[in-house]
Amino acid sequence: MSQSGVDFVVDYLLSKRPDLTEIDLDLDLIENRILDSLGFMNFLYVVEEHTGTEISLEDVTPEDFRTVRSIAKRFFDAVPDLG
Amino acid sequence: MALLLDSEQRLKDILDRLVAKSEADYYNPYQLFQWPDSLPEERYWMSPELMSVHGTEVLGELTEEQLHRLSKWESINFYSLNVHGIRELVTEVIARIHTKEFALTSEYFHHIIGEENEHMWFFATFCNKYGGKIYPDLTFKFDQGIQGPASHFLVFARLLLFEEIVDHFNRQMGVDERLDTTIRQVNAIHHQDESRHVAFGRQIVALLHKDLRSRLTPEELGEVERYLKSYLRRSLESLVNPAVFRDAGIPEPYKVRNRVLADPAHAEHNRNILKRTMRFLVNEGILPDESLEDS
Repeated sequence: MSQSGVDFVVDYLLSKRPDLTEIDLDLDLIENRILDSLGFMNFLYVVEEHTGTEISLEDVTPEDFRTVRSIAKRFFDAVPDLG
Repeated sequence: MALLLDSEQRLKDILDRLVAKSEADYYNPYQLFQWPDSLPEERYWMSPELMSVHGTEVLGELTEEQLHRLSKWESINFYSLNVHGIRELVTEVIARIHTKEFALTSEYFHHIIGEENEHMWFFATFCNKYGGKIYPDLTFKFDQGIQGPASHFLVFARLLLFEEIVDHFNRQMGVDERLDTTIRQVNAIHHQDESRHVAFGRQIVALLHKDLRSRLTPEELGEVERYLKSYLRRSLESLVNPAVFRDAGIPEPYKVRNRVLADPAHAEHNRNILKRTMRFLVNEGILPDESLEDS
């Protein structure tokens, strides 16, 4: 489990939404406008920098970015097994 | 489209003039450019003052050779953004042409679609021929943005803001003697056509916003403002691409990008790019101030 990856994603998203104090692993990030089209590019770069891997949008779907859990599963080492 | 009646005749006159100008300026882009096999690597491909690193601390750490290489890839990124922006523009205009709401503007839409198709062709040709690729589009559309009465306004506002940012570069690069002839020519031709599109964009965006002001609540208008500022920030940030630094052989591309974005000189650079645009947006009451930060 890549807890550090999860923490990293949550910390980044919280820094963009100071009105929130926590983000549940299964919260719908798109529906709740925590991740939107205009903020996506910077988020992508942050994940690329953290994982050291360039992400091709041809290989991903919106579902990969739906929740912190799906992001962790797709781009970081493993799925968190908590919560 | 609820265009204000007292403005409609004015818009019609402007459209007639723009159609006449489009016809008079018509050229065959497929025969216009020489497309030499290669362009000199030991020169700037983009005006140094327009490069993302201009005036920043990062600039001082790069050799002239690195700057030449960076200018090449920044120009390929710039033209790639044009290709993707034009795709969006053409798609949105085609979705509206010869619909009841856009009957008045349909004749001119034909010219915009035709001209933009040609621009996309020469930008894509430049990227593929001299860069061997088009940088990918990093717009990921998993939300719908603002829907409802503001949707037409936001589409045309996005298109206008994109064209205005691009034109800031084209205007200078089209006459910059430090750049190769092909680079100057591509930028000069684009600037010539875009000045018409920007003139049209400003008219329609101002009219659509005037209409919106009578229909939206202050809260909803605030949401529109926040969206536009966010769009502008995102557009400027897309000009600073880590893949460009990587292709230019600059180590730690993400860190370099973050440093450039955080540099006060870069903020000044962005203010210069948006100077005319912000003045327009504030004068028309579309934005309350020239700051890119949310009010």
